[in-house]
Amino acid sequence: MPLTHRGREILSRVPGGTLHSAVGVGCEIVRHEELCVGCGKCATDCPSGASERGAFFDVNQLLDAPADSRRGALGGALRRLMRHGPDGPVEVPERVTVYRTIIYDDEKCLGCGTCARGCPAAAIEARPPQADAEPAAAGAPAFEGARA
Amino acid sequence: MAGATATAAGAVRAAPASAADRKIVAFCCRECAYAAADASANARTPLPPTVRLVLMPCTGRVSPLHMLSALAEGADGVMVAGCLLGQCHYREGNFMAVDRVAFVQRLLKSVGVEPERCRMFTMSAGEPPKFVAAVREMDRVIGGLPPLPRSDAAAPAAGAAVAVRGAA
Repeated sequence: MPLTHRGREILSRVPGGTLHSAVGVGCEIVRHEELCVGCGKCATDCPSGASERGAFFDVNQLLDAPADSRRGALGGALRRLMRHGPDGPVEVPERVTVYRTIIYDDEKCLGCGTCARGCPAAAIEARPPQADAEPAAAGAPAFEGARA
Repeated sequence: MAGATATAAGAVRAAPASAADRKIVAFCCRECAYAAADASANARTPLPPTVRLVLMPCTGRVSPLHMLSALAEGADGVMVAGCLLGQCHYREGNFMAVDRVAFVQRLLKSVGVEPERCRMFTMSAGEPPKFVAAVREMDRVIGGLPPLPRSDAAAPAAGAAVAVRGAA
């Protein structure tokens, strides 16, 4: 976002002041598929359309899930019944709100972290960009010193 | 409880295969199917001995985990009996049940189990004959299938029973 004239003037008076990008944008988004419950909240929240709810579900995600998770419980029941490995992805009907696979496209992702904030299963992690974090930490004491 | 379930499952496997030994779990909506079952019992209509009724507040409460756990723990078939489409007491619970049953059928088909083992029926509270017909139909279909084989590789049950309570 471009600064106003007044903003630029104030910034020029801050010793060692550098311009940082808006908070949160440019985060690295890390998705933990084993925790995902497929609710699709990240897809509804996403401002850029990088996350979408897929129409298919990979049955292996049930079989591979940890036993104490909800998907793992379903996978455990399925494993006792199965006669052969899954044939492939299963189509998910419209009203089955969980057990969906989320399609994530990191080309479209802005790194805003909205999905991570809203995720009910804490399956998405937004890591702040390393390059920005470093000068921000160094810049703060300089600003304090300038005011004192 | 886990032990009892395991013993029951063992008894099912050890018993000679005959259609009367099959177990069908019927998840019934309180507003319609359970009321219809009640009325049919009052009329002393005989039901197949294979069916076990489970009272649900709405078929929308039945999760895929309920259906698959029932099959994994000893049932040969699962039926979900709810209101006529559009007459759900909670507006759209039975629509969700229709989709979840379809999802479970696809899961079962994908791992090589007959999808007919899980089925959805709809009826109103004033149609006991329809309920009886649905149960007899299910009994006929399950009676025509072999008993459902289960592997004991996965640890049975205590955890699954707890997880069902938490599932939506």
